[in-house]
Amino acid sequence: MDGAAGAMNGAMTAGHLRARGRARRTAWRVLREPFTRRAWAEFGYVIIGVPLGVAGFAYTAVSVYTGGLLLLTFLGLPLFAASSAGARGLGAASRGLARGMLNERVGTPPPLRRRPGFLGWVRSGLTDRVAWRARAYQVLKLPLAALSFYAAGITWAGGLMSLASPVLFDVVHDTVRDHGVVRHTIGVNYGSFHFDTWPKIMLLVAQGVVLLLLAPWVVRAMVAMDRFLIRALLGPGSLPERVRELEHSRALAVDDSAARLRRIERDLHDGTQAQLVALAMKLGLAREKLGADVAADADLLRARDLVDTAHQTAKDAIDELRDLVRGIYPPVLDSGLEPALATLAARSAAPVELVTNIPQRPSPAIETIAYFAAAELLTNVSKHSRARHATLEAVAVPGLLRIRVIDEGVGGADAGGDGTGLAGLAERVRTVDGRMEINSPRGGPTVVTVELPSHA
Amino acid sequence: MARVTGEHPPGTGSKGARANEMTRLRVMIAEDSAVLRAGLAELLADREHQVTAAVADADALLAAVAADPPDAAVVDVRMPPTHTDEGLRAAVALRRDHPGVGVLLFSQYVETRHAADLLGGPAGRGAAGVGYLLKDRVADVGEFVDALARVAAGGTALDPEVVSQLFGASRRSRDLDRLTAREREVLALMAEGRTNHAIAGQLVVTERAVEKHIGSIFSKLGLPQSDDDHRRVLAVLRYLRA
Repeated sequence: MDGAAGAMNGAMTAGHLRARGRARRTAWRVLREPFTRRAWAEFGYVIIGVPLGVAGFAYTAVSVYTGGLLLLTFLGLPLFAASSAGARGLGAASRGLARGMLNERVGTPPPLRRRPGFLGWVRSGLTDRVAWRARAYQVLKLPLAALSFYAAGITWAGGLMSLASPVLFDVVHDTVRDHGVVRHTIGVNYGSFHFDTWPKIMLLVAQGVVLLLLAPWVVRAMVAMDRFLIRALLGPGSLPERVRELEHSRALAVDDSAARLRRIERDLHDGTQAQLVALAMKLGLAREKLGADVAADADLLRARDLVDTAHQTAKDAIDELRDLVRGIYPPVLDSGLEPALATLAARSAAPVELVTNIPQRPSPAIETIAYFAAAELLTNVSKHSRARHATLEAVAVPGLLRIRVIDEGVGGADAGGDGTGLAGLAERVRTVDGRMEINSPRGGPTVVTVELPSHA
Repeated sequence: MARVTGEHPPGTGSKGARANEMTRLRVMIAEDSAVLRAGLAELLADREHQVTAAVADADALLAAVAADPPDAAVVDVRMPPTHTDEGLRAAVALRRDHPGVGVLLFSQYVETRHAADLLGGPAGRGAAGVGYLLKDRVADVGEFVDALARVAAGGTALDPEVVSQLFGASRRSRDLDRLTAREREVLALMAEGRTNHAIAGQLVVTERAVEKHIGSIFSKLGLPQSDDDHRRVLAVLRYLRA
């Protein structure tokens, strides 16, 4: 029984000890807090926050106001776009300050993806969500900075002043005559309660101590609100926003690569292909000059043979280069999908009937993907379907382009089959969020449909 | 000097083509690649034809032709500023405004739509005084100059690739299936604008055999017979493009 009682006593004592230990640690923590680095860093942040907040607010207000006023003229929109860079910069600076002083690490939002051209730049600037959120931060920061400054001022400065009141009492005091009694008092008073005796001064000192102990926590609360704003407005943004950003980037990448292919084709056409033709021309002339005279000496005959071979090789090179370049980018595509598909259909081994209705041209990148999709499908018809006839449809409805190839061949096509290139085609179509549908029962007619958005 | 006034210039037909070969032609060149332009000029000079102007874009060509119409113009389809089909549109304008000038279009790629635009509607001027060749054909100097002479004389010079695409795009594939393989070959060569003599040479048969094939083709397809090379080309092309 003694042991049980002792144990229970021990338990209670242990619990008490733990509670006492916790209380002691908390008290120690509270006492230490005003002297920690974090408290001073946050205090410094609040102090700097005021001029910075004013500057940021001023920039945002002026740029938005001026831009808004000028919206009536031509200048308003470019001004908005230009101020986006500044807004982002301010956001980055705020993030940096938070990282340095508060150790608050917030991810960098995605950089601005510019569309090409002047109008594209204006559009990018206006729709820059990151810049708008940064502006919102600057606007909200000012009142918060003012409030924080006030709170920090009252607690820290007030606490220090109160702590120093004995000194002040001694050195800087007012003299009051009250009913003929001369009294010293300090300037501070709560209503009619004056601090004119030493015990009351001690009260002030106590108030100072309390304020100083409270100060870091008050500042921390203010700064916590700032941290929240930073995380909400200066960070990378929500998931749907990021998805939109990614879609935008991807569209630019797709358009960019299509443009690059066209440039390559142009360079090859204007440069290499032209030179090869000139070369073949010269060799053709040389061939003639060397004559058809059979009774010539051996050297001449040999020369003629060599030139003959060279001539044929040049012609073969021209042919091969043409096919290669057509596989990179058929130049007629510049004029539109319909003429390009017309040539494709006419060159197909099996007779192909072409049906097109494209009232508005899709973007060049989509036209390229659609063309090569049609080319791949027609090649499959010639190679695998054994059909005697096929139909190629290219129809555009608002926002969508549909390419369809129908043949009456042996069917059995599927995306997994090798040698049909259908898997690769499906990949390319998926890159722009398009769809591909294969309907190919064995023996039956094959219908392959590719749907693409009008813009990447 | 061969000056062409209408669709039926004197001296066309198998003999006429050969005679024109010897005549000195006045030719204009429109090509934006300097290397090719120089090469073409040299080639033509070698054959003793006269190059009256060598320009690098479509506007210059139209101006030069208006100032001093040549017998024929050799025009690249792709020229500045957009490098898509400036030459083609200039060629169509030339055929409309200067029917006496033969137009030989050439290009790295033969496009069905370009051929259709060039040859005009089925009821239009059709294939008179026009040619459309792949740039490679220039490498076979004799053939190229032949084609140019044909075009200058009001005849036709279509690249085999053009004819092949015409066949491919034609809705008459079932009717064309009724022809024998040899007849299809002859039909293709006819559509290129070649004379019986040239066809016979290409297929290594006699001219008589070619004439027989042609008779058979025309009756199978229900086309009107004609001695005139030029007329029959028009008939064939009209048929294919109907």
